[in-house]
Amino acid sequence: MAQLVAIDNKNHLQLAIDQTKVEQHGAKLHLVPAVVPEFSNMAVQYPLVITKNGDTGQFVFAAMLGFEAGENLYWRDEQWQGLYVPLQIRRQPFFVAKSTASDNYDVCYDTDSPAVATEHGQRLFNDQGQETEFFAQAKGCLGELLRGEEANSQLLSYLQEMDLLQSMKMEVMFANQQTVNLSGLYTVDQDKLAALSAEQVTQLHQAGLLAAVYTLVISLGQMHQLIDLKNKQLGHS
Amino acid sequence: MDKLTKIVVIVGGGNAGWLTAGRLAAKHNSNSEQGLKVILVESANVPAIGVGEGTWPTMRSTLKALNISETDFIRECDASFKQGAKFAKWHDGSEDDYYYHPLVLPQGFGKTDLAGHWLAQQALAKNQSSEQSPLPANSQAHSHSFSNQVCFQEAICEQGLAPKTIRHAEFADVANYAYHLDSAKFTRFLQKHCQENLGVTHIIDDVIGVNSIGDTNSEGARAGDIASVTTKAHGDITGDLFVDCTGFSSLLLGEHYQVPFKKCDDVLFIDTALAVQVPYENDDDAIASHTISTGQKAGWIWDIGLQSRRGVGYVYSSKHSTEAEAKQILAEYVGVKNGAQLDSLKVRKIPINSGYRETAWQNNCVAIGLSAGFLEPLEASALVMIELGAQMISEQLPQSRAVMDIVAKRFNETALYRWQKIVDFLKLHYILSEREEPFWADNRDPSSIPESLQELMTLWQYRAPADYDFTSNNEVFPAASYQYVLYGMGFNSDYSHNPFALDDTDMASSQFEQNKKLTAKALSLLPSNRELLSKIKEFGLSRI
Repeated sequence: MAQLVAIDNKNHLQLAIDQTKVEQHGAKLHLVPAVVPEFSNMAVQYPLVITKNGDTGQFVFAAMLGFEAGENLYWRDEQWQGLYVPLQIRRQPFFVAKSTASDNYDVCYDTDSPAVATEHGQRLFNDQGQETEFFAQAKGCLGELLRGEEANSQLLSYLQEMDLLQSMKMEVMFANQQTVNLSGLYTVDQDKLAALSAEQVTQLHQAGLLAAVYTLVISLGQMHQLIDLKNKQLGHS
Repeated sequence: MDKLTKIVVIVGGGNAGWLTAGRLAAKHNSNSEQGLKVILVESANVPAIGVGEGTWPTMRSTLKALNISETDFIRECDASFKQGAKFAKWHDGSEDDYYYHPLVLPQGFGKTDLAGHWLAQQALAKNQSSEQSPLPANSQAHSHSFSNQVCFQEAICEQGLAPKTIRHAEFADVANYAYHLDSAKFTRFLQKHCQENLGVTHIIDDVIGVNSIGDTNSEGARAGDIASVTTKAHGDITGDLFVDCTGFSSLLLGEHYQVPFKKCDDVLFIDTALAVQVPYENDDDAIASHTISTGQKAGWIWDIGLQSRRGVGYVYSSKHSTEAEAKQILAEYVGVKNGAQLDSLKVRKIPINSGYRETAWQNNCVAIGLSAGFLEPLEASALVMIELGAQMISEQLPQSRAVMDIVAKRFNETALYRWQKIVDFLKLHYILSEREEPFWADNRDPSSIPESLQELMTLWQYRAPADYDFTSNNEVFPAASYQYVLYGMGFNSDYSHNPFALDDTDMASSQFEQNKKLTAKALSLLPSNRELLSKIKEFGLSRI
């Protein structure tokens, strides 16, 4: 469980982040949350799916990186092999949390993160206590995620309102004849998408979300790449 | 010329009226001009009885057929999940005497006779323990009980867990389930849905007269049919089919048509209910995900957990108990000192007149709900009989008067069959008890046991209940339910003269094994019943 601590320039003046280790946060993720603004970057390599949050049952967008819990097929040789590293990984080890003191949000960091460094790495503050360029960028990344999550909830409510979601059941067989049943995943129902009224399409378009809907559909083609990666890992190519 | 069925008039609101209206309107498109016109006339002055707060899993298909969101239903009807019933103190009345009638079938039901194999294991264990006598007979009773060995649901219920998780879609499950609900809230919820979404016309008025057709005429009307009902303020309301949902008063079928009522009090002795609503002590108290039915001196107590309160009631035979005595027993159960303190919980006394009308559909009038009949609340048969009746009417709605009598004949045969089967099954719960109070002893008197049940009991001396004992398309309780009650109550079917019946030992052990796996998996996966209900209130279940 991540330990989140609010960051300030008194207690964390010396805190530094080793950027080379940030990606380790994704080493064992088979699903990584995705936000609408990064869909087009994601879709170049990863299948985008919809899954449900275990605590709330609410739908969430995710890029699929493996076929079972703990498996990230894009993680090899201690490195992220994908072209695009998802925002959810890049933001590590920073989080925003509702402030206990005020109505604002605090920027926090995960004290258990492997990227937390004391010796070398990028500092958050200079000796005078001013934010570094690095920390400003990290905050920018969090802002991007927050805005992205707003777009996510907007898109999800359109998808549900327009009855465009369907559950995705797939049995995948790998080169070694081993099979895996994918369950708990959802995607856009293409027949219903094709049957949308002109009015509904316009609605999505005006909300700036039409492209995202098609990106979700098209990204599923990357499932083949994922199977391919798995086969390679199994020693079949 | 034939008279087409274009207007259905339902007399009476309540769950029966609105469920029937909803089923008809949803199936026959009452929202459109061409659809069936469904009119529900309801008096403002007659309070609904609010039978039973327990449903069957059929309620899930009923809600789906009415296009109702499960999330809305759970939020608005104070509903919770019900995974069957726990029968406590029915067998010998001792403290740890209980068994379950879960809603999940025995593991591998239909593939192997797991009941037979379980009985054989029990017989073997008994022989061994009598040789070595290491353990008292019931020390291991519950983990080895029939319901625990063949079904994973008892373990879920005992741990207070829900039948699904927040990630499951509406109506999807890990373990089969039904609901507990607030009857009055459910009626209002149905009414709103029927009016706003399904196109049912609602008239609030008193029906003060029933008008018959005098002569069969060239428009296809039949002499003796109901032409219309007269209301105080809205004049005559005409229709082609009339549904009597007027409750115990049975205004159309009983009063107008004088269809006789068949009493069942010679078999089922319960005739009075005392009901109370019990608040939870703490907001986070566990909500049982099963009905708890506890045997008492002259009947039994139901205990149903809703989200906001429990519904508790003592149903008893007034021939075997005074009201004061019954109040005292109920008071002890809910944890107050005496009958006087119980009064602060507003005890409602409800007479129970177990029985049914042998003809439910007469001419162009059919009764649904209490107007057609009611048996004691054991096994929650009231709402399910409404659902089944309403479903049958909507699916087989006679398109014209010419075919109505044929549909009516079938409806009557089916309803009668179901009543008789329910009577048998309810009686089964009582006849195997070893309790000694007169109520229980009288229940074992062979003269009070229907011949149809006696026949089955004779057969089951040598084998477990099986599907071929229940061959109708219209069965209410499957053979599995009879198994749960029989073996929960300690009945023994002796397979020793039928040694080849249990040859498939490999299959049986794999099914017992599978049940253990499913139990472990369910226990690790499922949240508590209260936790899931809170999450549904907060986040809702998704449609898929």
